[in-house]
Amino acid sequence: MKLPVAVLALLLLTTSSAGADSYEEHDYILNCSGCHRIDGSGSSVVPALQKMPELSGTTGTRAYWVQVPGAAQAPLSDARLAALMNWLVKRFTGQPPAPAYTANEVAQLRKTPLRDPLAKRTSLLR
Amino acid sequence: MSRIDRWFEGMTRQSARRVSRRNWLARFGGVLVGGATLPLLPVARAAEKHTVGEDGVKGREGDPTRCEYWRHCAIDGFLCSCCGGSHTACPPGTQMSPVTWIGTCRNPADGKDYIISYNDCCGKTFCGRCMCNRNEGERPLYHWYRNNDINWCGGARAQTYSCSTAVVVKTAQEAQPEK
Repeated sequence: MKLPVAVLALLLLTTSSAGADSYEEHDYILNCSGCHRIDGSGSSVVPALQKMPELSGTTGTRAYWVQVPGAAQAPLSDARLAALMNWLVKRFTGQPPAPAYTANEVAQLRKTPLRDPLAKRTSLLR
Repeated sequence: MSRIDRWFEGMTRQSARRVSRRNWLARFGGVLVGGATLPLLPVARAAEKHTVGEDGVKGREGDPTRCEYWRHCAIDGFLCSCCGGSHTACPPGTQMSPVTWIGTCRNPADGKDYIISYNDCCGKTFCGRCMCNRNEGERPLYHWYRNNDINWCGGARAQTYSCSTAVVVKTAQEAQPEK
């Protein structure tokens, strides 16, 4: 009887601490949702994250999603931005990025900003 | 059943014999006055910390019509609570902007940081009452997502700024990095 209780306690402990240490939703609300809105529907002046599936699978999209000004300039470390992007791509496209974004990859992408994000998006859709 | 009746009758007769009407009135009056003065005690005021506000956030409500109210830590504009609305709702005739400035404020009641959304109310001319300019954690215009000099009515149907709300979105896991 003692063993299942211990296992359950351990499971509870790990799941609760994992919840407390993951900042993805917090970072999304604080840094993205003001303009893209909580549900990602955007507005007349801000693109909708709900339209991300239109681009998924296209060559160059993986880099584009990190290079857009809102992501690249967010006041987040490379590791936190990588974690946020992995969470965000899964949330709005239904599929997690494969392979997952790493802090190194995000750091490299942030160093090469987009000159014209809207033109880049149009070229990706072509 | 009759046993309860008898017991109750006995109790009533006993109290009628022992306690005078004046005594009862005096005691009842004492209870009334004492009950009314209880909230004035410091103990009662300390317990207010544990009250829960209209949107489920713990803590004394404070005065949402003042700039010093804890949720207004980064506000720049007129308080909707002074303009016919509240700190969570727009005044009649205005529309809440869907795009908004978001930051964190610390609630002194529980010491926790909360994510606050300063949704502007748009569509009528500026309110002009309760102008507040606290700007804690605000950044220059080139950090547009943490700048509150932008007209955040940009995403609304009408772009005329009227006043600002301060809506609690969620408990923050940490204070915003700019603080």
